[in-house]
Amino acid sequence: MHLQRLSLRRFRNLGVQDLEFPPEGVAIVGDNAQGKSNLLEAIYYLETLRSFRGAPDMQLVEFGSDVFRLVGHLGGTGVSVEVSAAFQKKGKRKKVTMGGVEPDRLSDALGSLSAVVFSPSDVELVSGGPGDRRRFLDILLSLNEHGYLLALQDYRKVVARRNALLKDDQAAELIAAFDHGLIRTGARIMLSRLRWIENRREAFCHYYSTVSGGSRASMSYRPSFALGPAGSLDDVADAFREAIASTRDRERRVGSTVVGPHRDDVRLRLGDEGEDLDLRDFGSGGQRRTAALALRMVEARTVRESRGEEPIVLLDDVFAELDEGRSERVLDLMEREETGQVVLTAPKDADVRVRSDSLPRWRIRDGMIAS
Amino acid sequence: MSVIDQLSTELARLPGIGPKTALRLVHHLLKGSREQPRRLARALEEVADRVRACRVCGNFTEHEECEVCVNPRRDASIVCVVEEAFEVGAIERTGQYRGLFHVLGGHLAPLDGVGPNELNVASLLGRIRDARGGVNEVILATNASVEGEATAVYLEEMIRPMGARVSRLARGIPVGSDLEYVDGTTIAEALAGRREM
Ligand SMILES: [Zn+2]
Repeated sequence: MHLQRLSLRRFRNLGVQDLEFPPEGVAIVGDNAQGKSNLLEAIYYLETLRSFRGAPDMQLVEFGSDVFRLVGHLGGTGVSVEVSAAFQKKGKRKKVTMGGVEPDRLSDALGSLSAVVFSPSDVELVSGGPGDRRRFLDILLSLNEHGYLLALQDYRKVVARRNALLKDDQAAELIAAFDHGLIRTGARIMLSRLRWIENRREAFCHYYSTVSGGSRASMSYRPSFALGPAGSLDDVADAFREAIASTRDRERRVGSTVVGPHRDDVRLRLGDEGEDLDLRDFGSGGQRRTAALALRMVEARTVRESRGEEPIVLLDDVFAELDEGRSERVLDLMEREETGQVVLTAPKDADVRVRSDSLPRWRIRDGMIAS
Repeated sequence: MSVIDQLSTELARLPGIGPKTALRLVHHLLKGSREQPRRLARALEEVADRVRACRVCGNFTEHEECEVCVNPRRDASIVCVVEEAFEVGAIERTGQYRGLFHVLGGHLAPLDGVGPNELNVASLLGRIRDARGGVNEVILATNASVEGEATAVYLEEMIRPMGARVSRLARGIPVGSDLEYVDGTTIAEALAGRREM
């Protein structure tokens, strides 16, 4: 899949512009704070219907305006599809259309554009807290696995209600009434996370080793309770049920649900499996950035496999903080992975090295793009 | 405020009606003969004055007890528990159900301070107890939301020790949907495929 055309209407500082993208991609060159990342943010908005930089929709509307609107034309195998997203500050209304039709639910429009963003802030996936890694998994699995988002939304509802009862020191029967939904949705989420990590650990290891030039790192699932040899949804549910039963006193004391997927983590470790050097605590800056890149590469592979098409790769000034050797090896890897369209940003021409400098260059200044 | 504004403000309070639609409805009512708005007003008044909750089950009625409860041909050994009185109508329209009903008046909603005491739970348990084994089966037809699910689990724990069989509507009702918006065939199938909890 590739982005053919993008109409920008008052998104951040990008004003009113209609851009035609070459199928191989484009390099956007410009000084800092001119709007390079805003453009990538706009493209990726059509995938997740939110900012990859965590900005609320209100902040995405141009200063002094009420509405932003984005329209993307996506080319794939033959047909072109139109996807649009708009947000109105007044009334906080979001409207999305696919092929001109508004879907029943906003979530039905998620993932209509296949893209992966690589950004310098990705290092947070490694150096940040467990919540950062859970969010990575949740976005990835919501976009690529049917039913995951629904389970996640229901799970969050159950936890909020169950916690309210615990905080209020309500009757045990009442709290137990929410266990059923907690286990049903929670087990579903955990099994998806477990399977994804199990299926992708080798790919992670491969990408890390390739980019770092031979070093090793591993990825493993760390749930908040022992799963045992969990193979099926029932196995996970049984283990979850047991874990809840054995934490009844503790959750009463704390006033919240203490086990479950909302307490999961993904462990990223240096060296071979079994070695206990957490990248978060012991990794150097370069090692953490490499692990973050590897996670994004695994994400791209997941998108490719689950949707059967090349994701658009958005590179937000990613080489700024990587040393020469790592940058070269990332570029090599991207050439070999038959990446589709690439949209990258860089402050200087010299930083544009993907595709042996063959990408067309666009300049950006004050949000205005000149090709 | 003019009387036109007053009426459109009232109409706009109704679900699914915005200020624009409200104003269009008022204009429509003022266009033809004045008999139509008067009939509407009388109908609204009568609904407000005469419809109340059935003393036994909580269904809508104009009498002490609703027409389901007083019908001797209904099977008193089965009670179907729903969240809202509107849902009785949805199940009745399928023509597939011969038992009685019980309206809870909502579901467990801890974030809104709704617990068993805020719902018609005590009266449900009282009905089953007073029947002294006369109720064989309780069908829990609460909504497929997480709160509807928790309500069903809670009731099941309360009812099972009293000796009645407890079943839940089969899947097939879309998750998170209220019964009153689900089509009749789907409800009939869910009733037929109900499973013991
Ligand atoms: Zn009645």
